[in-house]
Amino acid sequence: MLEQLLIFTRGGLILWTCKELGNALRGSPIDTLIRSCLLEERSGAASYNYDAPGAAYTLKWTFHNELGLVFVAVYQRILHLLYVDDLLLMLKREFSEIYDPKRTNYGDFDETFRQLRKEAEARAEDLKKSKQVAGKPLNNSRKQGQVQNGGFEGVGKKKSEGNLANGDDGDNRKGHKLENGHSNGYHVDSEKSKVNGAANGIGDASSDAGAFDVNKLQKLRAKAGKKTETVVSKGSKAESKAESKKKITKKNRVWDDSPPQAKLDFTDHVGENGDNIEVVTADHGESMMDKEEIFSSESEAEEDEEDVGKDNKPETKKKGWFSSMFQSIAGKANLERSDLEPALKALKDRLMTKNVAEEIAEKLCESVAASLEGKKLASFTRVSSTVQAAMEEALVRILTPRRSIDILRDVHAAKEQRKPYVVVFVGVNGVGKSTNLAKVAYWLQQHKVSVMMAACDTFRSGAVEQLRTHARRLQIPIFEKGYEKDPAVVAKEAIQEATRNGSDVVLVDTAGRMQDNEPLMRALSKLIYINNPDLVLFVGEALVGNDAVDQLSKFNQKLADLSNSPNPTLIDGILLTKFDTIDDKVGAALSMVYISGAPVMFVGCGQSYTDLKKLNVKSIVKTLLK
Amino acid sequence: MEGAEQWKIQLEQWKKQLEPWKTQLEQWLNQVIEHIHQIPPTQLYAAVAVLLFTTLLLLFIRVLKRAKSNTIVLTGLSGSGKTVLYYQLRDGSSHQGTVTSMEPNEDTFVLHSETAKEGKVKPVHLVDVPGHSRLRPKLDEFLPQAAGIVFVVDALEFLPNCRAASEYLYDILTKASVVNKKIPVLLLCNKTDKVTAHTKEFIRKQMEKEIDKLRTSRSAISAADISSDFTLGVPDEAFSFSQCHNKVTVAEASGLTGETSQVEQFIREHVKP
Repeated sequence: MLEQLLIFTRGGLILWTCKELGNALRGSPIDTLIRSCLLEERSGAASYNYDAPGAAYTLKWTFHNELGLVFVAVYQRILHLLYVDDLLLMLKREFSEIYDPKRTNYGDFDETFRQLRKEAEARAEDLKKSKQVAGKPLNNSRKQGQVQNGGFEGVGKKKSEGNLANGDDGDNRKGHKLENGHSNGYHVDSEKSKVNGAANGIGDASSDAGAFDVNKLQKLRAKAGKKTETVVSKGSKAESKAESKKKITKKNRVWDDSPPQAKLDFTDHVGENGDNIEVVTADHGESMMDKEEIFSSESEAEEDEEDVGKDNKPETKKKGWFSSMFQSIAGKANLERSDLEPALKALKDRLMTKNVAEEIAEKLCESVAASLEGKKLASFTRVSSTVQAAMEEALVRILTPRRSIDILRDVHAAKEQRKPYVVVFVGVNGVGKSTNLAKVAYWLQQHKVSVMMAACDTFRSGAVEQLRTHARRLQIPIFEKGYEKDPAVVAKEAIQEATRNGSDVVLVDTAGRMQDNEPLMRALSKLIYINNPDLVLFVGEALVGNDAVDQLSKFNQKLADLSNSPNPTLIDGILLTKFDTIDDKVGAALSMVYISGAPVMFVGCGQSYTDLKKLNVKSIVKTLLK
Repeated sequence: MEGAEQWKIQLEQWKKQLEPWKTQLEQWLNQVIEHIHQIPPTQLYAAVAVLLFTTLLLLFIRVLKRAKSNTIVLTGLSGSGKTVLYYQLRDGSSHQGTVTSMEPNEDTFVLHSETAKEGKVKPVHLVDVPGHSRLRPKLDEFLPQAAGIVFVVDALEFLPNCRAASEYLYDILTKASVVNKKIPVLLLCNKTDKVTAHTKEFIRKQMEKEIDKLRTSRSAISAADISSDFTLGVPDEAFSFSQCHNKVTVAEASGLTGETSQVEQFIREHVKP
């Protein structure tokens, strides 16, 4: 059952909440959702999981950007409520009709909601039943196919039917074809495959069937959820697209395996037909369905984007310069996803040339699209500039640190409690942990903080000597215990030593380790668990591209998984090194901050002790969008 | 030398070219003067007077507008109750509660408590800026036109948030736009309807202490990145709000129960009705 349903403005005022539900939520899932998901540019995701003591909720949301409204539904995670998306969409449509910015009380919306909820639940019931009987959804989707191809002749209809079934049982069908050989006419073949498809729905356990099931659900939802004609065609468009995609991949596999057959030409034809459908329906713009598809898998998302590119070409050709100029003066009514897509793609490419990890560029663009869709375009602006402005805002928001990065303040606070402030430097091999540790030590020394180094890299030869050299040059005491010792114990002793002789800060150097190295990660987790440092700095080099995401997320993951304590210390901040070597490819900063949520505390930008800076958010954003 | 000669020759040429224009202009001038002579002098004076009056009026309005902005900015940490206060001041009720804001709320209105008053009351432009740290840059958009800043502090959950709140307040108090224009700041202790809420004196003292510590650590940070060019208070002396360039006052309020008279008083002090 639904736990809570809220409608609120982006300004934060709750406009309507379902009183019938009225269950007291444990914790504050909504505020957490806003703070850690919607404001972190993760609103492109489909749902958010919230854990509170004694409760686990899943939250789903949708925006109405033109009116600045947010619709959020909360339900228990164990219940997989299928109708929530549907319900939210309906709610959005109904509520936007009665919404008035001046009005703050919508008591009369209760009745409408009750109606909507009943409808949605009934539909969910249907869905459940049809899921159990596998033949049924197939029938449904076939019907849909017929609606889609209404204009085509009979043979074409059959072809597409056959293909619908093809979608799910690639290998099976292939086998059939080989058996049948060349002799079969394609009418027969399509009949066969149809039967196959039905059988497959029940019996086949291949992964394809699973994928198809999801598709079926989407189709069903599209069909049931939206009764208006246009929306149906949108839904079926997405579906046909998905099919054509599948066809293409399947076809390729056959080409590889077996010698070319006459039958394969037939699939080819249908493939073309499918493309035709796309072009015809392209005018309706992108449907909401695509959003989910993009998230289902990366490769699919890529293909999808290519498709979108294809779709947009004829459209843009049709529009003359006059109409586009007129639009730019008058201001466009509402931004649709198809309007945003080209600008977003260009922006994504630009971000990727700046070394932003692909996954993150993708997610950011999704989130920006979600925040712009349905908004009015102001007059005298272009879509691309609007998108760029939205992206700039999003980037500034991401890079602005959430927690205070004033380390000196924290050091003073620790000093008052007569405790040394412990900083642990972690990272993969050769990113410059020791060098930057020395730089930080130098900086702290400049501000009259007594520093001590702890050589806990007991793994790599020469590491202790290297740190000793730094310590000698900076006139800083160093705590070392040689090699082959447990680093966690060395660190503990170092902290005790620091407490004894009154050092303010202990800088702990650790061995570099790859994120996949289980034993070393375990050792690191132990070090952090035992010593409970005030700050865990992840040292990462700015040269890294896609790997940054992997490094940081794995480090965080391992620290969380391998620790014994219930709330383990994770990475608190990032030290970005080798920043002087990358010119304008500053994307690593964005990737790292986005994936970990930790701020960039220092930037290493040279070889000497003085080359330590703070991150300048404005200039980074400017460089990223240049 | 040759260059100079050439220049001279060119100048002569230009002068020659300009001569017909000159005569033309003189002719026009004469015509205009004749035309003016035909107009009765009273009409002429009246026209000049009207012209002068309108320009002066426009200038005056502009100056007046710039001097007396009616913008009050509500700011503070996330969860301190700014949006509730905003709606209390606007509508006199907190409606059905609020969640974390994602965008600023702004509106120009007559305060709810004054709607019953007779006569014309000047409306207030109230802005509620989200407190989430990611949205802090939004504050800079509103500060230049602010006539007053209300910094809302959660008096109930004060101690855990003390440092963060002090840092935020420090940032605001050292912003160039705030210091130069001496925008008055009201430190508003919200949620005082609760029994366990701290008193405003306690909060003031704690925040002064905290800002005092911040002074030393902030001035130490390399100047390259920090935009604030101003230091707070007198060096070598414990910090207190009275040392600030701008006037800082402390008040209490409760957004939930609608006890907002002290805020309204502050607003009316700086936005005259």
